[in-house]
Amino acid sequence: MLGALHEAGGPVTAGWVRDHLAAGLAYTTVMTVLGRLLAKNAVTRRREGRSFVWLPAADEAGLAALKMRRVLDGEQDRRAVLASFITALPEGDERLLRELLESGDG
Amino acid sequence: MGIFVFLPLVLPLTAWPIARLAEQRLHPRTATVLLTSVSTVMALCSTVCLALLMVVGTAQLPGNPLPDGWSDPEVRESVPRHEIAGKAAIPALLAVVAAGCRTLTRHVRVRRRAHRALAGLPRTEVAVLPDPVPYAYALPGGRRERVVVSTGMLGALASRERRALFAHERAHLAARHHRHLLLVQLAACANPFLLPLRTAVAYAAERWADEDAARAVGSRRAVAHAIGRAALASARPAPAPTLPALAAPGPLPRRVAALLGPAPAARAWPSLFTAAGLAVWTAATGAALSAMFSANSALTLLFLLRTAAPL
Repeated sequence: MLGALHEAGGPVTAGWVRDHLAAGLAYTTVMTVLGRLLAKNAVTRRREGRSFVWLPAADEAGLAALKMRRVLDGEQDRRAVLASFITALPEGDERLLRELLESGDG
Repeated sequence: MGIFVFLPLVLPLTAWPIARLAEQRLHPRTATVLLTSVSTVMALCSTVCLALLMVVGTAQLPGNPLPDGWSDPEVRESVPRHEIAGKAAIPALLAVVAAGCRTLTRHVRVRRRAHRALAGLPRTEVAVLPDPVPYAYALPGGRRERVVVSTGMLGALASRERRALFAHERAHLAARHHRHLLLVQLAACANPFLLPLRTAVAYAAERWADEDAARAVGSRRAVAHAIGRAALASARPAPAPTLPALAAPGPLPRRVAALLGPAPAARAWPSLFTAAGLAVWTAATGAALSAMFSANSALTLLFLLRTAAPL
């Protein structure tokens, strides 16, 4: 079933999954399995109109990563909003940092 | 009002010594809270005074919508050099308001877009995103707050360093550092003399989170190594040739050096008879004077306008 979702290449409905599975499962069976996969965080779903559309979780994370990159790249001064663990490191600082860490080890 | 209405515009200069000394002499938590408070008070006072000057300036413009009595000679004489100061205050206040609105909308927009990007993921405290570029952020947002970290960042760190990284970001969220950062940014929009305070608070908040993380993982060295490794992993070739001999060390080496050194004293306030103590009191006095002068000017103008144009 995860294979079918991956093949879909985008969010699809449970009906689509049933039609694309060779096994010829009942709609309720497809829903049950999707529900179990959801509980295991292997798939995610979101409401679209009156039904749910389903996505493999890995795709959802990749999608989120792309969107997040767009947010981060789009805002020049994003540091002003999101406290970042690290900032850009100029060349002089890089050398200094290496020296500091080496002396810390010694 | 006299000259007093101008003083809150330049009194932020009294906070420069402590903005400079805070990094070395104050506990990061004390520095963050103190500098944010001073900066917020001074920004408010400076904006109030700018607004008072603008009222006096606007009243003189022909065709202004203010009551005629407001351009009364007595009102004008209350501000020295009112013809220049009043008119200069109009674009200045407009610039302050525009810059403040831009900062605020950007803050809201980045947060909303970041939350929307993560909307499809399971509601876990930490969101791990598959991205080779190393980054880690604390994304505030009430119940939706979470730590966002890329696989690139996790891959660069050992397990102990990862714990330090998460502890650092959680410290940001727990202490609500984004509020401090937003306040000092808005303050710097209100009065450019407050810019050094913004830089100092941004650094102090990172140091605060570093120290909290060090306590959480039980090792200052682990946090120092996490910062160092993460920084070196994401280091890209410098875009332009710099003069390293002249450049002061940036914030990252300073944070690492601070963590490898002794822990900062938890004692809240330095004694008055040290440079830092003196600087703290100078800034506090500056903030108090700002508040006094702006309140005094506001009341004076209110009374003048009342007598000039009885409602």
